[in-house]
Amino acid sequence: MSRDRAPRAPGATPRDGVPPAAGASDDRALLGAYVDGVAELTPDERRAAEARLVSDPAARAEADALRGIVDQLRALPPAGDEPDWSAMERAIRRAVDGVPVRPWWRLGRWWIPALTCATAAAVLVAAWPSVAPEHTPPQDRAARAPQEDRDPDAAGAIVPLWLAGGEVEVDVAAASDVGSMFGDLDVGLEPAAEDNDEVAPPAAEPGLLPAGDLAWVDRLDDAALERAEHWLAGRKG
Amino acid sequence: MESLAAGLHLLDRPQAVTQADPDLELAERFQGGDRTAFDALVRRHQKGMWRLSRRYVKSDADAADVTQLAFVRAFRGLAAFRGTATVRSWLYRIAINCALSWLRDHRREQPAEIPEDALTEDNPAVAQLSAGDDRARLRAAIAKLPPKQKLVLELRVFDDLSFREVADLAECSENTAKVNFHYAVKRLRDILGADHEP
Repeated sequence: MSRDRAPRAPGATPRDGVPPAAGASDDRALLGAYVDGVAELTPDERRAAEARLVSDPAARAEADALRGIVDQLRALPPAGDEPDWSAMERAIRRAVDGVPVRPWWRLGRWWIPALTCATAAAVLVAAWPSVAPEHTPPQDRAARAPQEDRDPDAAGAIVPLWLAGGEVEVDVAAASDVGSMFGDLDVGLEPAAEDNDEVAPPAAEPGLLPAGDLAWVDRLDDAALERAEHWLAGRKG
Repeated sequence: MESLAAGLHLLDRPQAVTQADPDLELAERFQGGDRTAFDALVRRHQKGMWRLSRRYVKSDADAADVTQLAFVRAFRGLAAFRGTATVRSWLYRIAINCALSWLRDHRREQPAEIPEDALTEDNPAVAQLSAGDDRARLRAAIAKLPPKQKLVLELRVFDDLSFREVADLAECSENTAKVNFHYAVKRLRDILGADHEP
């Protein structure tokens, strides 16, 4: 027996003249619904109940009795004294006065995907510097390394020097400036001074002043020294 | 045929027939932002929800409180109403839940523990005191019904719900609701008949 099937009524037995295939106990169990709301029965249920009523005098008597009970039930006055409906309506209106009609997630559905995309993009941008190297394929890194070496703006182009009591970052690309600063002197670009512990440029990188032979300093005239000091002051500034 | 004709005259009972949900338009208007649609729902259903709550909490004032609470909850939840049941049965389900919560919260104040499915119009003990009164006898008979049958019978008769709505609230199939209603009425007849016997 399925869950929706009517249980057999106590003492109910199939009667003569009632087709057993129609579910004798089922259609009889629908008599109450038939009596109280025939319009709510399906066409099959209604046909079965009416067939039962036509063929079974006991079913007709039972339907009459059920109708009498239902009429008594419907005639029962409701219990209790009804409240002031207007007052209740006002109280309910006050209670929901500050409550939004729609929850926040339904106030405007359109911006939810837009906000989600914007948030995801912001997170990606913020996390990119730390994430990107880990996700760079090895072949990409290998391909990128020689490019960096060939880059003229790479880190080796700027050489920090300790000059005149201060650190000066010197652009070796400005070697022509140095040439003009020292006039016609032939000043080679050599690695930075070895006695300067605080400045340790890579040995392979070129420096401004020759570290070995400093005799050329004695050959500087006043004008060259003045231009050199002027240039240094400008770099410090 | 007399029985058939008497049955057919009930075709015109409008409230028990669920062809289209008359409250659905109000619910949709509310979901569109119209607060006045909710006021209309309150006016339409506050009486029924109060009666339903009254059968649980047994007190007029408490039933009013439960009804108000149920409507506030309904206001908060109506935006998410999807129409799988009628608005009325949805509201009544909220009212039943609120009434059951109220009973749990006020269990100590009750004279005795009230079962959650205790759906009777009045206290059967009080009804027994006036045994000569047909109404009291009928109420007492209702109190003797098994819980499921009592629930179905009262939702159907006192709240005037369709069998579909009764099934929603009783959490059973529509056919089961019809059958339970039949056996509830039949059992009432048996109880009342037994009371009449010497």
